[in-house]
Amino acid sequence: MPDLFYHLLAWVLGFGSFFLLVLLIGHVLVALVVIIPTWRICVRAGFAGAWSLLHLIPVIGSFVVMAILAFGDWPNGEATSD
Amino acid sequence: MGTEFVALLGLAGLSSAFAFVALVLAAWMAWRIVEKAGLPGWTGLGAVLLTLTAVGTIVPLILLWIFAFMRWPRDAAVATSARAPAAPGPAAGGSGAGGRTAPAASSALPPPPKALADGRGWTLTGKLGDGQAVSLSFDASAAAWMLTGAAAAQPTDLSVPDPSVGQPHARLMVAGARLGLADLGTSGGTFIDGARLLPEHGPRDITAVRTIRLGGVELALSRV
Repeated sequence: MPDLFYHLLAWVLGFGSFFLLVLLIGHVLVALVVIIPTWRICVRAGFAGAWSLLHLIPVIGSFVVMAILAFGDWPNGEATSD
Repeated sequence: MGTEFVALLGLAGLSSAFAFVALVLAAWMAWRIVEKAGLPGWTGLGAVLLTLTAVGTIVPLILLWIFAFMRWPRDAAVATSARAPAAPGPAAGGSGAGGRTAPAASSALPPPPKALADGRGWTLTGKLGDGQAVSLSFDASAAAWMLTGAAAAQPTDLSVPDPSVGQPHARLMVAGARLGLADLGTSGGTFIDGARLLPEHGPRDITAVRTIRLGGVELALSRV
């Protein structure tokens, strides 16, 4: 294989890794911004605040914690509906 | 109509279909969550739909923080029901047939009934060195009782007439249903279930203790 191929491959892998790292850091930062208020909402609802850590799971984690809050009975009580 | 929809879907791509389903699901769940907090459901729906607009996710994130730390109408309702735990009575019965019940009939349980204070006293029973039986009774009427080898001079003195018992020997402290014992540094020593109690140990909780020994006199502790 010519040297140029390995040279280009190294660049692609390097950029790809960097891009993935940026994605990962960005995901964690956004998750942190969302985890803190979600933790408080879970505690106020009567659930364990640690459920909010599900935001760290990409794509489906947020839906799982929202489903727990939306469809679970809140131990601390819910507002009545007229 | 059906073919046009499929064509549109093909144009948008499968990922858009998933995004649409996710959006509907998120909006529905947000509606339910804010309703449970006592806010109108459309506020949660609006917060999720704001992600589609030019403001992106910043405003919904801010709204999420506000929702997490603001006072919920549900909190006011629970506080009202906690302050008025009594049964409705005739006033609510006359307010309307089949109408709403007490203003905040949340699903939270009422507080438990307060337990009655434990009025039992204690008894120390044992045998002196000469074989004579001794029985000392005390209760929470006094905060501190003195165990002494001399005759009882005060109403709060508990006499254990044995040469190995100091004058005074130890102090008993009563706090509600709990009992404490402090040694006063006599040569006979004080023992709690066989373990030596020294003055520098300070008062020790003996509520659950079976026996205490003052010098050479072993006394069994029991509730009356």
